[in-house]
Amino acid sequence: MLPRGLKEFLATQARIISRHKFGLFGATVILAFGIIGLIGPLVAPHGPWESLRDANGKLAILRPPSSEFLLGTTSMGRDILSQMLYATRTTVIIGLVSGLISILIGANIGLISGYYGGRLDEVLMRFTDIIYGMPFLPFLIVLIALFGRSLWFVIIAICCIVWRTSARVVRAQTLAIKQRQFVLAAKARGCSNLRIIYRHIMPNILPLLLLYTAFNIAWSVLAEASASFLGFGDPDNLSWGGMLYSLWISGKIRTAWWWFAWPSICIILLVSALVFVSRAYEEVANPRLQQR
Amino acid sequence: MREYIVRRLLYTLMTLFAVATILFFLFRMLPGDPTAQVISPALDEVAQARLKQAFGLDQPLHIQYLLYLKNLFALDWGRSFTSSRKVFDIIQYRFWNTIFLMGAGMCLTLMVGIGMGMVMAWRRNGPLDLWPTLGSLIFQSAPPFITGLLLLMILSYRLDLFPTGGMRTPGVQLTQGMGLFLSWDFIHHLILPTLTVSLYYLATPMLIMRDSMLEVMGSDFIELARAKGLKPHVVMIRHAARNALLSVVTVSSILVGFAIGGQVIVEQVFSWPGMGSLMVEAASSHDYPVAQGTFLVLAIVVIFLNLLSDISYCYLDPRIKLGDR
Repeated sequence: MLPRGLKEFLATQARIISRHKFGLFGATVILAFGIIGLIGPLVAPHGPWESLRDANGKLAILRPPSSEFLLGTTSMGRDILSQMLYATRTTVIIGLVSGLISILIGANIGLISGYYGGRLDEVLMRFTDIIYGMPFLPFLIVLIALFGRSLWFVIIAICCIVWRTSARVVRAQTLAIKQRQFVLAAKARGCSNLRIIYRHIMPNILPLLLLYTAFNIAWSVLAEASASFLGFGDPDNLSWGGMLYSLWISGKIRTAWWWFAWPSICIILLVSALVFVSRAYEEVANPRLQQR
Repeated sequence: MREYIVRRLLYTLMTLFAVATILFFLFRMLPGDPTAQVISPALDEVAQARLKQAFGLDQPLHIQYLLYLKNLFALDWGRSFTSSRKVFDIIQYRFWNTIFLMGAGMCLTLMVGIGMGMVMAWRRNGPLDLWPTLGSLIFQSAPPFITGLLLLMILSYRLDLFPTGGMRTPGVQLTQGMGLFLSWDFIHHLILPTLTVSLYYLATPMLIMRDSMLEVMGSDFIELARAKGLKPHVVMIRHAARNALLSVVTVSSILVGFAIGGQVIVEQVFSWPGMGSLMVEAASSHDYPVAQGTFLVLAIVVIFLNLLSDISYCYLDPRIKLGDR
């Protein structure tokens, strides 16, 4: 059984999302990808790197989708369905881990900066400005080129940059909430600063935090796909972007539409699902929009 | 306002300095011999020792740092490992190609975005509002390499309408200077990459324009303009749109963030000889001086564009509290 607080929290989130037609669609898609990421490699018919042969013993190179190879094969005779199932897991891991870490960093910097103000605020915001000066994708590329193509460097590089937007937005919201009566009352009662920040202010910006969690995950997925497409992905952990990179360097893009279609559709589907969910939260975070 | 601009300029310099510093440490934190990042390991030992001295790599770290800054200002950014040409010269040649493509993409995006945003607000909740919203969100969710490859597959490979990449047809007579950027052959090559980046950027300015039009249309002065008996399209364009434009400028810094990443990808897909593709080439062949230089220039572009959007915002909206952000 779930603890009561968590249950209430989940019920509220479900209500917010399901009120919004696109939001419901988005949540369903995200959940589906999550499940595929979890069980995908277990149900994959072949290994992602296995070169397959057809019934006649010939290498199954560049076969279009058929009953034998549901989503077709690559120029090396690899099964695209299996590759997709493995790649989904990589994407889910990167999206979740870097999305959550970056919202954690961004939210804390924003809350602390906005609440304490003064010199601390100045320092933290100048630091955020500096990160805004970093071109995201080039930074990702340089970091991976320097330190090696591994999943964890991709995640670290994404986390270094993606938090910046959430920090600014959370800070602005904290500044507004800090002035409200209940915060002043808590202060008068003698609550500690940390308690005010995390028990009084944070719950009030929760919709905003969830909105930016969705955004951060979307950005992480996009960033990883882009880096992989440029050849800076982890070679041991296949991802959707990495599949498109193999297609690009194989030079078979003129003919092999199926090799292009499936990873592309999945990237677009997952990212737009995240955007739709974030739009559902936007209405709660920004009530002005509701009347429109 | 002057105080605000001066302060912004100061912050910009600080940011530039910080980015250069981060870059310095990043390229020296590497596992293994840190000199291998500045001096090609392929050179013979005498040459390596000479270069080591020139870059001060035999000195302690803080002296190296000062030397690095000095070389940065003197535009002495080292030599490429692969072609042994000066890094600054290589970048200079590529710089304008990138700026031109980026400028074309931005112009198209803003024109279409602002125009469509107006129409969408006008036809609120009609098909002209809903379909563009959905379409632009999908194109924003698609990384530009997907859009680019799709356009290539349909328009270039299938229908053979556009060249598949590059900046000019091989063998075409080179025109000097600006003539190059105005020749038909160049524009023919420019169309697909521009279209790709524009589709990627479009959602932000378009949806912001729509929302802010809706907001402005509720104001009293619009009511007044209508009451005066002005034609609806005059009210829309002359009164509402002019005020709604402000919020598009506000978010243009978000657009800048998108722009560089999109640029790198599009240049790679369409083999556009700009800084983005140079950076990818350099990084994948471990040509560190070139990678470092390109990164720095791209960072300068981002920082400069951010400054520009900050200043234009403050210029356009005198209501913002000056000195405070």
